Amino acid sequence: MEIIDKISWEIRSDIGIITLDNPPENYLVQPEFVPLEVLKKWTSYDYLKGIIICGAGKHFSGGGKLENLFRMIRNKENISESMDKGKAVLDHLEELEIPVVAAIQGICFGGGLEVALASHIRVCSENALFAFPEINQGVIPGLGGTVRCFGKTGFPRAMKLIMSGDMINAEDAQEMNLVDFIVGKQKVFDFSFNLLQKLTRDRPLTVINAVMKALKNARSMSIEDAMREETRMFCELALAEASRRNSSREIKK
Amino acid sequence: MNIPVYSTIHLDFDEGIGLLELNTPPSNTMTMEFFAEFASVLEFIRAHTEFRALIISGRGRHFSSGADVPVLLREILEKAGTDKNGKLTKVPDFLSSNYKSLLILESFNIPVISSIRGVCLGSALELALFSHFRLCGEDAVFSLPEASFNLVPGLGGIYKLCCISGQALALDRVLRGSTFTAEDAFKYRIVDKLVPKKILLSTATGFAREVMQDFRIEKKAMYVKKYLA
Repeated sequence: MEIIDKISWEIRSDIGIITLDNPPENYLVQPEFVPLEVLKKWTSYDYLKGIIICGAGKHFSGGGKLENLFRMIRNKENISESMDKGKAVLDHLEELEIPVVAAIQGICFGGGLEVALASHIRVCSENALFAFPEINQGVIPGLGGTVRCFGKTGFPRAMKLIMSGDMINAEDAQEMNLVDFIVGKQKVFDFSFNLLQKLTRDRPLTVINAVMKALKNARSMSIEDAMREETRMFCELALAEASRRNSSREIKK
Repeated sequence: MNIPVYSTIHLDFDEGIGLLELNTPPSNTMTMEFFAEFASVLEFIRAHTEFRALIISGRGRHFSSGADVPVLLREILEKAGTDKNGKLTKVPDFLSSNYKSLLILESFNIPVISSIRGVCLGSALELALFSHFRLCGEDAVFSLPEASFNLVPGLGGIYKLCCISGQALALDRVLRGSTFTAEDAFKYRIVDKLVPKKILLSTATGFAREVMQDFRIEKKAMYVKKYLA
């Protein structure tokens, strides 16, 4: 296990586990909550088939501490550079070509919710709570949360969540497509781990990568371009599979 | 209007409504020939304004079990452009025209309704996903099984499923490759309505008759609510 700046990392079978490890609320110390270079190193092992992001203890994360941010501004630190670094970390997670699951229990606020939204699948416990409280301090989510939230929930619901700063429960979050699965209180991690194993266990990395790329294209490309790419990836895999079947037939002979 | 005769598709026309049946029972496998004929059926329908709605269905008990994978692999191995290391340099034309057919189908300005009984697997589900509406019998069984033979859906199935059911569900269904029921398909918003299989086609026809009066895809949710409740 590695620990850096209140974030820990370990690999269990072929699943990487990122733990937001700053209990009790697992506040994110800075927008770049894990240095991008470190995250890149962790996620570059070529046997990894999936990643879980979870919080230590009872909560996922209360997000960033706005006092820290305001202090940085008073000290004339380059806040926009620091936000850009935070965004780069979330973009890296979202663009990984293996599935990333956010295992959410307890509170999932602000920056914590932005981390969850950059994941590909969100699992939460029945007692989870979600909010973008930034508005209460006169700011808005700044790590892509507004964009990703809108993409999942549609405009009216995203607007309500962000403009009100109100807290919503797991059921409401699922209703508005903010989370994908709700499970019992103590089961979030195990469910997420088993889910990732079930999805990836029997699949070669080439197939997993192709599916993830196709989903990324669905988020970012026109339908024509995305379909051309999907057919091309299918064709690449089909070529490999056809050669594999041919050679195994020859071996049998 | 003289309706051409095809060997893998049966095309019928009655009171403005076209019925396109995949016609290689029992499993209505989507062969190379099927895809070629499918493209020309779409051209024919597009050229004849008498068609005011289209229902797609399978002859017999099933919609379709999807593409003929061993043949498909052989054809790709033969026709794909590759460099000296065997790496893909050009997707064979027939594969590109397959996905283009689905884009053409989706761009029709008449309602396209898939009426699904029995199995609807792989490319068949992709075809259905590019229809404007999907009705299914309670016995319908769905899957995108490609990952279980080291492939991925290649005709826009991942794209469409992601748009219709969301990223997490698409990821789950595509990587698992396992089958799911009509109830699940309804829950995932993949089908618009479950219908007892005996009245499936008549329901689809009645629905087509209503929607074709004034079809605009943006009003999909309204049609489903109004005519399929």
